[in-house]
Amino acid sequence: MTRQPARILLADDHAMVRSGLRLILDAEPDLQVVAEAANGYEAIAALTHTPADLAILDIAMPRMTGLQAAREITRSHPHVKILILSMYDNEQYFFEALKAGASGYVLKSVADRDLLEACRATLRGEPFLYAGAVTALIRDYLHRARHGESLPATILTPREEEILKLIAEGDTTREIGNTLSISAKTVDRHRANILKKLGLRDRLALTRYAIRSGLIEP
Amino acid sequence: MNRRAAVVDRFRGQARTPAGALFWRVFVINGLVFTIGTLALALSPATVSTHIRLTEIPVLVVGLAAILAANALLLRSSLAPLDQLASSMSRVDPPRRSDRIDDRGTGDLRHLIASFNAMLDRLETERTSASGSALAAQEAERARIARELHDEIGQSLTVALLALKRAVDKAPTGLRGDLHNAQDAVRGSLDEVSGIARRLRPDVLEDLGLHSALNALCSEFTQATGVDVVKHLDAHLARLDPNIELVCYRVAQEALTNVARHAKADKVRVDLHATDEHLTLRIADDGTGGVVTAGAGITGMRERALLVDATLTIDSSSSEGTQIRLIVPVHVQSRPR
Repeated sequence: MTRQPARILLADDHAMVRSGLRLILDAEPDLQVVAEAANGYEAIAALTHTPADLAILDIAMPRMTGLQAAREITRSHPHVKILILSMYDNEQYFFEALKAGASGYVLKSVADRDLLEACRATLRGEPFLYAGAVTALIRDYLHRARHGESLPATILTPREEEILKLIAEGDTTREIGNTLSISAKTVDRHRANILKKLGLRDRLALTRYAIRSGLIEP
Repeated sequence: MNRRAAVVDRFRGQARTPAGALFWRVFVINGLVFTIGTLALALSPATVSTHIRLTEIPVLVVGLAAILAANALLLRSSLAPLDQLASSMSRVDPPRRSDRIDDRGTGDLRHLIASFNAMLDRLETERTSASGSALAAQEAERARIARELHDEIGQSLTVALLALKRAVDKAPTGLRGDLHNAQDAVRGSLDEVSGIARRLRPDVLEDLGLHSALNALCSEFTQATGVDVVKHLDAHLARLDPNIELVCYRVAQEALTNVARHAKADKVRVDLHATDEHLTLRIADDGTGGVVTAGAGITGMRERALLVDATLTIDSSSSEGTQIRLIVPVHVQSRPR
Protein backbone atom coordinates (compact mmCIF):
# COMPACT_ATOMS: atom_id res chain seq x y z
CA MET A 1 0.00 0.00 0.00
CA THR A 2 1.53 3.31 -1.02
CA ARG A 3 1.42 6.05 1.58
CA GLN A 4 -0.22 9.25 0.50
CA PRO A 5 2.34 11.97 -0.13
CA ALA A 6 2.63 14.51 2.68
CA ARG A 7 0.53 17.59 2.00
CA ILE A 8 2.50 20.80 2.01
CA LEU A 9 1.48 24.45 2.30
CA LEU A 10 4.06 26.73 0.75
CA ALA A 11 4.19 30.42 1.77
CA ASP A 12 6.66 32.92 0.32
CA ASP A 13 6.07 36.43 -0.97
CA HIS A 14 8.34 35.98 -3.98
CA ALA A 15 6.47 34.16 -6.74
CA MET A 16 9.52 32.81 -8.53
CA VAL A 17 11.00 31.42 -5.32
CA ARG A 18 7.68 29.71 -4.64
CA SER A 19 7.59 28.12 -8.06
CA GLY A 20 11.23 27.02 -7.78
CA LEU A 21 10.51 25.37 -4.43
CA ARG A 22 7.32 23.80 -5.72
CA LEU A 23 9.04 22.16 -8.65
CA ILE A 24 11.58 20.58 -6.32
CA LEU A 25 8.98 19.40 -3.83
CA ASP A 26 6.48 18.07 -6.38
CA ALA A 27 9.24 16.04 -8.03
CA GLU A 28 9.47 13.90 -4.90
CA PRO A 29 7.04 10.97 -4.64
CA ASP A 30 6.44 11.43 -0.92
CA LEU A 31 5.82 15.18 -0.99
CA GLN A 32 3.10 17.23 -2.62
CA VAL A 33 2.33 20.94 -2.51
CA VAL A 34 -1.43 21.38 -1.98
CA ALA A 35 -1.61 25.12 -1.33
CA GLU A 36 0.42 28.26 -1.91
CA ALA A 37 0.32 31.63 -0.17
CA ALA A 38 2.08 34.96 -0.60
CA ASN A 39 1.87 36.12 3.02
CA GLY A 40 0.94 34.99 6.53
CA TYR A 41 -2.75 35.86 6.23
CA GLU A 42 -3.16 33.89 3.04
CA ALA A 43 -1.30 30.97 4.61
CA ILE A 44 -3.69 30.76 7.55
CA ALA A 45 -6.71 31.22 5.30
CA ALA A 46 -5.48 28.42 3.05
CA LEU A 47 -5.19 26.05 5.98
CA THR A 48 -8.85 26.52 6.87
CA HIS A 49 -9.93 25.17 3.44
CA THR A 50 -7.08 22.82 2.63
CA PRO A 51 -5.74 20.39 5.19
CA ALA A 52 -1.97 20.06 5.25
CA ASP A 53 0.66 18.13 7.16
CA LEU A 54 3.53 20.56 6.77
CA ALA A 55 3.67 24.34 6.40
CA ILE A 56 6.80 25.86 4.87
CA LEU A 57 6.86 29.57 5.80
CA ASP A 58 9.23 32.26 4.62
CA ILE A 59 10.17 34.43 7.60
CA ALA A 60 10.01 37.79 5.82
CA MET A 61 6.56 38.24 4.36
CA PRO A 62 4.41 41.36 4.25
CA ARG A 63 1.19 41.80 6.21
CA MET A 64 1.96 38.88 8.50
CA THR A 65 5.46 37.47 8.89
CA GLY A 66 6.38 33.83 8.96
CA LEU A 67 6.97 33.94 12.72
CA GLN A 68 3.58 35.48 13.39
CA ALA A 69 1.91 32.96 11.09
CA ALA A 70 3.79 30.13 12.82
CA ARG A 71 2.45 31.20 16.21
CA GLU A 72 -1.07 31.37 14.85
CA ILE A 73 -0.82 28.01 13.11
CA THR A 74 0.60 26.38 16.25
CA ARG A 75 -2.45 27.69 18.07
CA SER A 76 -5.20 26.93 15.61
CA HIS A 77 -3.79 23.93 13.71
CA PRO A 78 -1.47 22.23 16.20
CA HIS A 79 -1.10 19.06 14.12
CA VAL A 80 0.57 20.95 11.26
CA LYS A 81 4.34 20.80 11.42
CA ILE A 82 6.16 24.01 10.63
CA LEU A 83 9.37 24.58 8.73
CA ILE A 84 10.74 28.11 8.50
CA LEU A 85 12.59 29.24 5.40
CA SER A 86 14.83 32.22 5.85
CA MET A 87 17.52 34.44 4.40
CA TYR A 88 18.74 35.29 7.88
CA ASP A 89 21.81 33.33 8.86
CA ASN A 90 21.23 34.37 12.40
CA GLU A 91 20.53 31.99 15.23
CA GLN A 92 18.38 34.56 17.04
CA TYR A 93 15.74 34.08 14.39
CA PHE A 94 16.15 30.35 14.71
CA PHE A 95 15.46 30.37 18.43
CA GLU A 96 12.49 32.67 17.97
CA ALA A 97 11.19 30.30 15.31
CA LEU A 98 11.51 27.42 17.79
CA LYS A 99 9.61 29.43 20.36
CA ALA A 100 6.90 30.17 17.79
CA GLY A 101 6.38 26.46 17.24
CA ALA A 102 8.56 25.67 14.25
CA SER A 103 10.53 22.45 14.20
CA GLY A 104 12.94 23.35 11.50
CA TYR A 105 14.80 26.25 10.04
CA VAL A 106 16.37 26.20 6.60
CA LEU A 107 18.47 28.92 5.04
CA LYS A 108 17.53 29.89 1.51
CA SER A 109 21.22 29.83 0.60
CA VAL A 110 21.24 26.08 1.18
CA ALA A 111 17.58 25.39 0.38
CA ASP A 112 18.59 23.45 -2.69
CA ARG A 113 20.67 21.13 -0.55
CA ASP A 114 18.77 20.87 2.71
CA LEU A 115 15.11 21.50 1.92
CA LEU A 116 14.07 17.92 1.20
CA GLU A 117 15.88 16.46 4.19
CA ALA A 118 14.46 19.23 6.38
CA CYS A 119 10.91 18.47 5.19
CA ARG A 120 11.27 14.78 5.90
CA ALA A 121 12.89 15.31 9.31
CA THR A 122 10.17 17.78 10.29
CA LEU A 123 7.43 15.43 9.18
CA ARG A 124 9.03 12.74 11.33
CA GLY A 125 8.87 15.12 14.28
CA GLU A 126 12.62 15.63 14.49
CA PRO A 127 14.04 19.12 14.73
CA PHE A 128 16.09 20.26 11.77
CA LEU A 129 18.84 22.65 12.65
CA TYR A 130 20.88 24.54 10.16
CA ALA A 131 24.62 24.53 10.66
CA GLY A 132 24.85 28.05 12.07
CA ALA A 133 22.41 27.25 14.85
CA VAL A 134 24.30 24.09 15.77
CA THR A 135 27.53 26.04 15.89
CA ALA A 136 25.98 28.67 18.09
CA LEU A 137 24.62 26.08 20.51
CA ILE A 138 27.87 24.19 20.68
CA ARG A 139 29.92 27.32 21.14
CA ASP A 140 27.65 28.42 23.92
CA TYR A 141 27.92 25.00 25.51
CA LEU A 142 31.70 25.10 25.43
CA HIS A 143 31.74 28.65 26.75
CA ARG A 144 29.77 27.53 29.75
CA ALA A 145 32.02 24.51 30.27
CA ARG A 146 35.09 26.75 30.18
CA HIS A 147 33.60 29.03 32.77
CA GLY A 148 32.91 26.19 35.13
CA GLU A 149 29.15 25.87 34.84
CA SER A 150 27.86 22.44 35.64
CA LEU A 151 26.60 20.59 32.60
CA PRO A 152 25.06 17.19 32.05
CA ALA A 153 27.79 14.57 31.80
CA THR A 154 28.38 13.58 28.22
CA ILE A 155 30.32 10.83 26.63
CA LEU A 156 31.63 11.98 23.33
CA THR A 157 33.74 9.76 21.16
CA PRO A 158 37.20 11.10 20.32
CA ARG A 159 36.02 11.82 16.79
CA GLU A 160 33.04 13.71 18.11
CA GLU A 161 35.28 15.75 20.38
CA GLU A 162 37.50 16.66 17.45
CA ILE A 163 34.50 17.79 15.49
CA LEU A 164 33.11 19.67 18.48
CA LYS A 165 36.30 21.65 18.74
CA LEU A 166 36.32 22.49 15.04
CA ILE A 167 32.67 23.49 15.10
CA ALA A 168 33.30 25.77 18.03
CA GLU A 169 36.11 27.44 16.13
CA GLY A 170 33.65 28.26 13.39
CA ASP A 171 34.83 25.92 10.66
CA THR A 172 32.25 25.11 8.00
CA THR A 173 31.12 21.58 7.30
CA ARG A 174 33.32 21.44 4.22
CA GLU A 175 36.38 22.69 6.12
CA ILE A 176 35.84 20.12 8.85
CA GLY A 177 35.43 17.41 6.23
CA ASN A 178 38.69 18.44 4.60
CA THR A 179 40.57 18.64 7.88
CA LEU A 180 39.47 15.19 8.99
CA SER A 181 39.22 13.61 5.53
CA ILE A 182 35.59 12.68 5.86
CA SER A 183 32.55 13.59 3.79
CA ALA A 184 30.25 16.50 4.55
CA LYS A 185 27.39 14.08 5.17
CA THR A 186 29.44 12.32 7.82
CA VAL A 187 30.23 15.62 9.49
CA ASP A 188 26.52 16.46 9.62
CA ARG A 189 25.73 13.08 11.08
CA HIS A 190 28.32 13.57 13.82
CA ARG A 191 26.94 17.02 14.45
CA ALA A 192 23.44 15.63 14.98
CA ASN A 193 24.78 12.95 17.31
CA ILE A 194 26.69 15.50 19.33
CA LEU A 195 23.53 17.50 19.82
CA LYS A 196 21.64 14.42 20.91
CA LYS A 197 24.33 13.62 23.44
CA LEU A 198 24.21 17.14 24.76
CA GLY A 199 20.54 16.51 25.45
CA LEU A 200 19.34 18.83 22.73
CA ARG A 201 17.45 16.30 20.73
CA ASP A 202 14.09 17.94 20.24
CA ARG A 203 12.43 21.30 19.86
CA LEU A 204 11.37 21.65 23.47
CA ALA A 205 14.79 20.75 24.83
CA LEU A 206 16.42 23.20 22.45
CA THR A 207 14.06 25.97 23.41
CA ARG A 208 14.55 25.35 27.10
CA TYR A 209 18.31 25.32 26.68
CA ALA A 210 18.27 28.53 24.69
CA ILE A 211 16.15 30.28 27.29
CA ARG A 212 18.27 29.03 30.19
CA SER A 213 21.42 30.16 28.44
CA GLY A 214 20.06 33.61 27.83
CA LEU A 215 20.20 33.15 24.08
CA ILE A 216 16.59 34.23 23.90
CA GLU A 217 14.16 35.73 26.31
CA PRO A 218 11.52 33.48 27.80
CA MET B 1 35.87 108.44 23.65
CA ASN B 2 34.66 107.69 20.11
CA ARG B 3 34.18 104.02 20.82
CA ARG B 4 32.22 104.84 23.92
CA ALA B 5 30.02 107.18 21.96
CA ALA B 6 29.42 104.50 19.34
CA VAL B 7 28.54 101.99 22.04
CA VAL B 8 26.16 104.46 23.62
CA ASP B 9 24.56 105.08 20.23
CA ARG B 10 24.08 101.39 19.57
CA PHE B 11 22.51 100.78 22.89
CA ARG B 12 20.32 103.83 22.75
CA GLY B 13 16.67 102.95 22.61
CA GLN B 14 17.14 99.52 24.15
CA ALA B 15 15.69 99.41 27.60
CA ARG B 16 17.77 96.49 28.83
CA THR B 17 20.98 95.68 27.09
CA PRO B 18 23.38 92.84 27.81
CA ALA B 19 26.02 95.15 29.12
CA GLY B 20 23.76 98.06 30.06
CA ALA B 21 24.34 97.50 33.72
CA LEU B 22 28.05 97.20 33.09
CA PHE B 23 28.03 100.39 31.05
CA TRP B 24 26.31 102.30 33.80
CA ARG B 25 28.66 100.90 36.40
CA VAL B 26 31.73 101.91 34.45
CA PHE B 27 30.22 105.28 33.67
CA VAL B 28 29.33 105.86 37.31
CA ILE B 29 32.76 104.75 38.48
CA ASN B 30 34.49 107.04 36.03
CA GLY B 31 32.07 109.82 36.81
CA LEU B 32 32.64 109.49 40.54
CA VAL B 33 36.35 109.40 40.18
CA PHE B 34 36.44 112.46 37.95
CA THR B 35 33.92 114.28 40.13
CA ILE B 36 35.90 113.59 43.29
CA GLY B 37 39.08 114.63 41.52
CA THR B 38 37.51 117.89 40.37
CA LEU B 39 36.01 118.57 43.79
CA ALA B 40 39.36 117.85 45.41
CA LEU B 41 40.95 120.27 43.05
CA ALA B 42 38.30 122.93 43.60
CA LEU B 43 38.08 122.67 47.37
CA SER B 44 41.63 121.92 48.32
CA PRO B 45 44.14 124.54 49.11
CA ALA B 46 46.10 123.44 46.06
CA THR B 47 45.90 125.76 43.13
CA VAL B 48 46.68 125.55 39.45
CA SER B 49 47.98 128.73 38.01
CA THR B 50 47.73 129.78 34.40
CA HIS B 51 51.35 128.96 33.89
CA ILE B 52 52.04 125.84 35.88
CA ARG B 53 54.54 126.39 38.63
CA LEU B 54 56.97 123.67 39.54
CA THR B 55 55.45 123.07 42.97
CA GLU B 56 52.08 122.36 41.46
CA ILE B 57 53.31 119.54 39.22
CA PRO B 58 53.70 116.90 41.96
CA VAL B 59 50.15 117.67 43.11
CA LEU B 60 48.80 117.20 39.63
CA VAL B 61 50.84 114.02 39.10
CA VAL B 62 49.68 112.53 42.40
CA GLY B 63 46.11 113.49 41.65
CA LEU B 64 46.23 111.92 38.19
CA ALA B 65 47.88 108.78 39.53
CA ALA B 66 45.18 108.46 42.17
CA ILE B 67 42.42 108.86 39.58
CA LEU B 68 44.01 106.30 37.23
CA ALA B 69 44.61 103.77 40.01
CA ALA B 70 41.08 104.06 41.33
CA ASN B 71 39.69 103.69 37.81
CA ALA B 72 41.84 100.68 37.04
CA LEU B 73 40.97 98.86 40.25
CA LEU B 74 37.24 99.41 39.98
CA LEU B 75 37.09 98.56 36.28
CA ARG B 76 39.11 95.37 36.72
CA SER B 77 36.71 93.96 39.25
CA SER B 78 33.73 94.90 37.06
CA LEU B 79 35.15 93.36 33.92
CA ALA B 80 36.45 90.13 35.49
CA PRO B 81 33.27 88.22 34.60
CA LEU B 82 33.95 88.95 30.94
CA ASP B 83 37.17 86.96 31.15
CA GLN B 84 35.32 84.13 32.75
CA LEU B 85 32.74 84.25 29.98
CA ALA B 86 35.43 84.21 27.31
CA SER B 87 37.12 81.15 28.76
CA SER B 88 33.78 79.34 29.03
CA MET B 89 33.06 80.11 25.41
CA SER B 90 36.36 78.67 24.35
CA ARG B 91 35.48 75.41 26.12
CA VAL B 92 32.25 74.87 24.18
CA ASP B 93 32.63 71.73 22.11
CA PRO B 94 29.54 70.99 20.03
CA PRO B 95 29.37 67.21 20.14
CA ARG B 96 29.48 67.23 23.92
CA ARG B 97 27.00 68.79 26.23
CA SER B 98 28.44 72.07 27.51
CA ASP B 99 28.12 73.28 31.04
CA ARG B 100 25.98 76.31 31.33
CA ILE B 101 27.67 79.22 33.07
CA ASP B 102 26.47 80.01 36.51
CA ASP B 103 24.77 83.42 36.38
CA ARG B 104 23.90 83.83 40.00
CA GLY B 105 26.57 86.06 41.46
CA THR B 106 27.64 88.22 38.58
CA GLY B 107 25.08 90.99 38.68
CA ASP B 108 26.09 93.16 35.79
CA LEU B 109 26.61 90.43 33.33
CA ARG B 110 23.63 88.36 34.31
CA HIS B 111 21.75 89.25 31.19
CA LEU B 112 24.74 88.61 28.96
CA ILE B 113 25.29 85.22 30.53
CA ALA B 114 21.63 84.34 30.22
CA SER B 115 21.82 85.25 26.54
CA PHE B 116 24.91 83.08 26.15
CA ASN B 117 23.26 80.12 27.84
CA ALA B 118 20.20 80.54 25.64
CA MET B 119 22.47 80.60 22.59
CA LEU B 120 24.09 77.36 23.73
CA ASP B 121 20.62 75.82 24.04
CA ARG B 122 19.74 76.87 20.52
CA LEU B 123 23.07 75.61 19.17
CA GLU B 124 22.65 72.22 20.76
CA THR B 125 19.05 71.90 19.63
CA GLU B 126 20.04 72.86 16.11
CA ARG B 127 22.99 70.49 16.13
CA THR B 128 20.84 67.68 17.44
CA SER B 129 18.15 68.18 14.85
CA ALA B 130 20.67 68.62 12.05
CA SER B 131 22.57 65.48 12.92
CA GLY B 132 19.24 63.79 13.58
CA SER B 133 18.15 64.52 10.04
CA ALA B 134 21.49 63.40 8.69
CA LEU B 135 21.47 60.16 10.64
CA ALA B 136 17.83 59.48 9.78
CA ALA B 137 18.62 60.02 6.11
CA GLN B 138 21.59 57.70 6.41
CA GLU B 139 19.55 54.97 8.08
CA ALA B 140 16.75 55.35 5.53
CA GLU B 141 19.22 55.01 2.69
CA ARG B 142 20.79 51.95 4.29
CA ALA B 143 17.38 50.39 4.82
CA ARG B 144 16.47 50.98 1.20
CA ILE B 145 19.65 49.42 -0.09
CA ALA B 146 19.37 46.49 2.30
CA ARG B 147 15.81 45.87 1.20
CA GLU B 148 16.76 45.91 -2.47
CA LEU B 149 19.66 43.56 -1.87
CA HIS B 150 17.48 41.23 0.14
CA ASP B 151 14.27 41.33 -1.86
CA GLU B 152 15.64 41.52 -5.34
CA ILE B 153 19.17 40.20 -5.65
CA GLY B 154 18.84 37.74 -2.79
CA GLN B 155 15.65 36.25 -4.11
CA SER B 156 16.94 36.04 -7.68
CA LEU B 157 20.01 34.18 -6.48
CA THR B 158 17.76 31.79 -4.54
CA VAL B 159 15.73 31.11 -7.67
CA ALA B 160 19.00 30.43 -9.52
CA LEU B 161 20.09 27.99 -6.82
CA LEU B 162 16.82 26.09 -6.97
CA ALA B 163 16.95 25.97 -10.78
CA LEU B 164 20.52 24.65 -10.61
CA LYS B 165 19.41 21.91 -8.24
CA ARG B 166 16.80 20.72 -10.70
CA ALA B 167 19.45 20.84 -13.45
CA VAL B 168 21.85 18.77 -11.33
CA ASP B 169 19.17 16.16 -10.71
CA LYS B 170 18.53 15.79 -14.42
CA ALA B 171 22.08 16.24 -15.70
CA PRO B 172 24.35 13.48 -16.94
CA THR B 173 27.21 12.69 -14.55
CA GLY B 174 29.84 14.40 -16.68
CA LEU B 175 28.07 17.70 -16.32
CA ARG B 176 27.53 17.59 -12.58
CA GLY B 177 30.97 18.88 -11.62
CA ASP B 178 30.45 22.13 -13.50
CA LEU B 179 26.96 22.51 -12.13
CA HIS B 180 28.19 21.98 -8.58
CA ASN B 181 30.76 24.71 -9.12
CA ALA B 182 28.03 27.01 -10.35
CA GLN B 183 25.95 26.17 -7.27
CA ASP B 184 28.86 26.98 -4.95
CA ALA B 185 29.46 30.29 -6.69
CA VAL B 186 25.81 31.30 -6.45
CA ARG B 187 25.65 30.18 -2.84
CA GLY B 188 28.72 32.25 -2.03
CA SER B 189 27.15 35.31 -3.63
CA LEU B 190 23.94 34.80 -1.73
CA ASP B 191 25.82 34.61 1.56
CA GLU B 192 27.74 37.78 0.79
CA VAL B 193 24.61 39.65 -0.20
CA SER B 194 22.86 38.54 2.98
CA GLY B 195 25.83 39.63 5.06
CA ILE B 196 25.96 43.06 3.47
CA ALA B 197 22.23 43.55 3.89
CA ARG B 198 22.42 42.50 7.51
CA ARG B 199 25.19 44.95 8.35
CA LEU B 200 23.32 47.75 6.65
CA ARG B 201 19.98 47.17 8.28
CA PRO B 202 19.77 44.97 11.33
CA ASP B 203 16.48 43.20 10.71
CA VAL B 204 16.93 41.30 13.91
CA LEU B 205 16.72 44.58 15.82
CA GLU B 206 13.40 45.52 14.27
CA ASP B 207 11.90 42.08 14.36
CA LEU B 208 13.19 40.70 17.63
CA GLY B 209 14.37 43.62 19.73
CA LEU B 210 17.56 44.92 21.30
CA HIS B 211 18.30 41.87 23.45
CA SER B 212 18.36 39.50 20.46
CA ALA B 213 20.18 42.00 18.29
CA LEU B 214 22.99 42.38 20.84
CA ASN B 215 23.23 38.61 21.14
CA ALA B 216 23.57 38.43 17.37
CA LEU B 217 26.27 41.13 17.33
CA CYS B 218 28.27 39.25 19.95
CA SER B 219 28.05 35.97 18.00
CA GLU B 220 29.19 37.69 14.85
CA PHE B 221 32.07 39.21 16.77
CA THR B 222 33.08 35.84 18.20
CA GLN B 223 32.82 34.28 14.78
CA ALA B 224 35.04 36.94 13.23
CA THR B 225 37.69 37.14 15.95
CA GLY B 226 37.53 33.89 17.88
CA VAL B 227 37.23 35.86 21.11
CA ASP B 228 34.35 35.04 23.45
CA VAL B 229 32.07 37.79 24.66
CA VAL B 230 30.79 37.69 28.21
CA LYS B 231 27.25 39.00 28.13
CA HIS B 232 25.08 40.31 30.93
CA LEU B 233 21.92 41.43 29.22
CA ASP B 234 18.79 42.17 31.24
CA ALA B 235 16.43 39.38 30.42
CA HIS B 236 13.07 41.08 30.76
CA LEU B 237 13.60 44.19 28.75
CA ALA B 238 10.45 45.67 27.33
CA ARG B 239 10.53 46.98 23.78
CA LEU B 240 11.85 50.53 23.74
CA ASP B 241 11.45 53.42 21.40
CA PRO B 242 12.91 52.29 18.06
CA ASN B 243 15.28 55.27 17.97
CA ILE B 244 16.74 54.33 21.34
CA GLU B 245 17.14 50.69 20.31
CA LEU B 246 18.83 51.73 17.08
CA VAL B 247 21.26 54.07 18.85
CA CYS B 248 22.23 51.35 21.33
CA TYR B 249 22.67 48.87 18.51
CA ARG B 250 24.83 51.18 16.40
CA VAL B 251 26.99 52.17 19.38
CA ALA B 252 27.53 48.51 20.26
CA GLN B 253 28.21 47.69 16.61
CA GLU B 254 30.80 50.46 16.30
CA ALA B 255 32.40 49.59 19.64
CA LEU B 256 32.76 45.91 18.79
CA THR B 257 34.06 46.73 15.32
CA ASN B 258 36.75 48.89 16.91
CA VAL B 259 37.68 46.13 19.34
CA ALA B 260 37.92 43.65 16.50
CA ARG B 261 40.07 45.95 14.39
CA HIS B 262 42.41 47.60 16.87
CA ALA B 263 42.27 46.31 20.38
CA LYS B 264 43.89 42.87 20.29
CA ALA B 265 41.75 41.99 23.26
CA ASP B 266 41.42 38.64 25.01
CA LYS B 267 38.32 39.44 26.99
CA VAL B 268 35.30 41.40 25.93
CA ARG B 269 32.25 42.16 28.01
CA VAL B 270 28.85 43.58 27.07
CA ASP B 271 26.32 44.68 29.69
CA LEU B 272 22.81 45.98 29.26
CA HIS B 273 20.80 47.03 32.29
CA ALA B 274 17.59 48.97 32.62
CA THR B 275 16.02 50.81 35.52
CA ASP B 276 12.80 52.78 35.38
CA GLU B 277 14.73 55.86 34.38
CA HIS B 278 17.86 54.80 32.58
CA LEU B 279 19.17 52.23 30.19
CA THR B 280 22.88 51.54 30.53
CA LEU B 281 24.93 49.86 27.83
CA ARG B 282 28.52 49.02 28.60
CA ILE B 283 31.15 47.52 26.32
CA ALA B 284 34.54 46.80 27.85
CA ASP B 285 37.66 45.10 26.59
CA ASP B 286 41.13 44.42 27.99
CA GLY B 287 42.98 45.42 24.86
CA THR B 288 45.48 48.09 24.00
CA GLY B 289 43.28 51.09 24.62
CA GLY B 290 44.27 54.50 23.32
CA VAL B 291 41.01 55.09 21.51
CA VAL B 292 40.21 58.52 22.86
CA THR B 293 41.20 60.58 19.81
CA ALA B 294 38.01 60.90 17.87
CA GLY B 295 37.79 59.10 14.60
CA ALA B 296 34.70 59.10 12.40
CA GLY B 297 33.29 56.17 14.35
CA ILE B 298 33.56 57.80 17.76
CA THR B 299 32.12 61.08 16.48
CA GLY B 300 29.23 59.11 15.01
CA MET B 301 28.64 57.49 18.39
CA ARG B 302 28.57 60.86 20.12
CA GLU B 303 26.15 62.31 17.59
CA ARG B 304 23.80 59.38 17.94
CA ALA B 305 23.97 59.64 21.73
CA LEU B 306 23.06 63.32 21.58
CA LEU B 307 20.06 62.39 19.46
CA VAL B 308 18.39 60.49 22.27
CA ASP B 309 19.69 62.75 25.04
CA ALA B 310 22.12 60.09 26.18
CA THR B 311 25.58 60.46 27.71
CA LEU B 312 28.47 58.59 26.17
CA THR B 313 31.68 58.15 28.14
CA ILE B 314 34.80 56.51 26.81
CA ASP B 315 37.62 55.50 29.13
CA SER B 316 40.65 54.15 27.40
CA SER B 317 44.12 53.38 28.68
CA SER B 318 46.82 51.02 27.57
CA SER B 319 46.92 49.30 30.95
CA GLU B 320 43.21 48.76 31.47
CA GLY B 321 41.78 48.56 27.99
CA THR B 322 38.75 50.45 26.84
CA GLN B 323 35.32 50.95 28.31
CA ILE B 324 32.46 52.57 26.47
CA ARG B 325 29.37 53.46 28.43
CA LEU B 326 26.10 54.78 27.06
CA ILE B 327 23.43 55.95 29.49
CA VAL B 328 20.05 56.69 27.93
CA PRO B 329 17.12 58.24 29.77
CA VAL B 330 14.03 56.12 29.16
CA HIS B 331 10.56 55.57 30.37
CA VAL B 332 10.46 51.80 30.19
CA GLN B 333 6.97 50.50 29.70
CA SER B 334 6.10 47.95 32.30
CA ARG B 335 3.96 45.75 30.10
CA PRO B 336 5.85 42.76 28.78
CA ARG B 337 6.55 42.13 25.08
